[in-house]
Amino acid sequence: MSEWFSVFKRGLSVDNPLTVLMIGLCATLAVSTKFEGAFFMGLAVIFVLTMSAILVSFLRHVVPEKVRIPVFIVIIASFVTIVDLMMKAFLPTVYDFLGVWIPLIVVNCIILGRAEAFSYHKPVKLAIADGLGMGIGFSAVIVVLASIRELLGSGQIVFLGTKIIGFPAWYKGPNIVLLFPGAFIIFGFMVAGAMALNRRMSARQVQTSQRCTIEEGGGS
Amino acid sequence: MEIFQHFALLLIGGALVNNILLTRFIGLCPFFGVSSSMETSFGMAGAVVFVMTLASSATWVFYNVLLEPLGVGEFLYIPAFILVIAALVQFVEMYLKKASPGLYRSLGIFLPLITTNCAVLATATEAVKPGFFKMNMAYGFGFGEALVYTVGVALGFGFALMSFAALRDRLEVAPVPNAMKGTPMAFVTAGLLSLGYIGLGSWFGL
Repeated sequence: MSEWFSVFKRGLSVDNPLTVLMIGLCATLAVSTKFEGAFFMGLAVIFVLTMSAILVSFLRHVVPEKVRIPVFIVIIASFVTIVDLMMKAFLPTVYDFLGVWIPLIVVNCIILGRAEAFSYHKPVKLAIADGLGMGIGFSAVIVVLASIRELLGSGQIVFLGTKIIGFPAWYKGPNIVLLFPGAFIIFGFMVAGAMALNRRMSARQVQTSQRCTIEEGGGS
Repeated sequence: MEIFQHFALLLIGGALVNNILLTRFIGLCPFFGVSSSMETSFGMAGAVVFVMTLASSATWVFYNVLLEPLGVGEFLYIPAFILVIAALVQFVEMYLKKASPGLYRSLGIFLPLITTNCAVLATATEAVKPGFFKMNMAYGFGFGEALVYTVGVALGFGFALMSFAALRDRLEVAPVPNAMKGTPMAFVTAGLLSLGYIGLGSWFGL
């Protein structure tokens, strides 16, 4: 079980797809103007990532290596079509906002990349952990980015028609935050923050492991 | 004359005003992945122009000849297009390997990457499905319009990628604060570049 959790945790911290691996950026920057859109985008990615990880890992002894990429793409495309049609039916306003980004989940590098690098070689249980971890890591970053942009840009966060949090009415948000340059610049600062955090964590780990080896060395 | 103007607007609109990388965020992975050197970004740009034009023409024909008459275009276009693009890239790779090894060597490693590049799928979808992106342009492209638009988008992709690579070359030696070194600074630079492209939009009055 501890292996399960360590795989799960990697997606959130040291292997975070967005801030560390830098894959799947397009969707992140584009849909992060609204908290609501980012939230459902995150859910869609978690669903597609986990389900395709399960199926790829389940079929890993059946699928020959030469045709694996087309098989992965077909698996992913079917799950994306499910999400596409479901969202169109039940959440039409969100679907209008996300638009092209739902079909484009097919070519989101995170999903194909994890299928190729992880699920194709690992048992189903670990593939679930990896899919969930990567998916939640992705969603966390995209939701934080969207909250910053929506709060600063339009002065309030609206979720499914209800206002959650907002600045007083006199606040006029700078428009650039909601436009494309704002996404790049704010994400740049977020990446800097995440890198600093990761550096700090790894430095602490090195320190503790050094202390352990010294103590062990002293003991023997 | 009018038709010439129409095509010119499509080309400029696709290339600069609605630049696929910097004003619509499509295809960003290679934008940050290969832009660290001028040479690779040139190769990537060439490969994208080549594949995107072929892919859009192929999917346009495929959609209008096969999917639309059968009435399955609405829900089958995602898997169908990605398979057409993947197969096409594979064929192009094999053909290039045989027919012109020099070109294959310069484009070779980028071709498989392009299969999963969202820019190709997005442009193909956009050229085929009317009203798919909400932009201020007329849709329901004919074949010629789809072709011109795709070439415009691909050229815009190449131009943005190469100008960003040039900027990153200079950034290597620039005095950047320690915490922002590397990718964070690249993002901020891309933001400033994209500001310029947004300015272009109001300049053309589109």
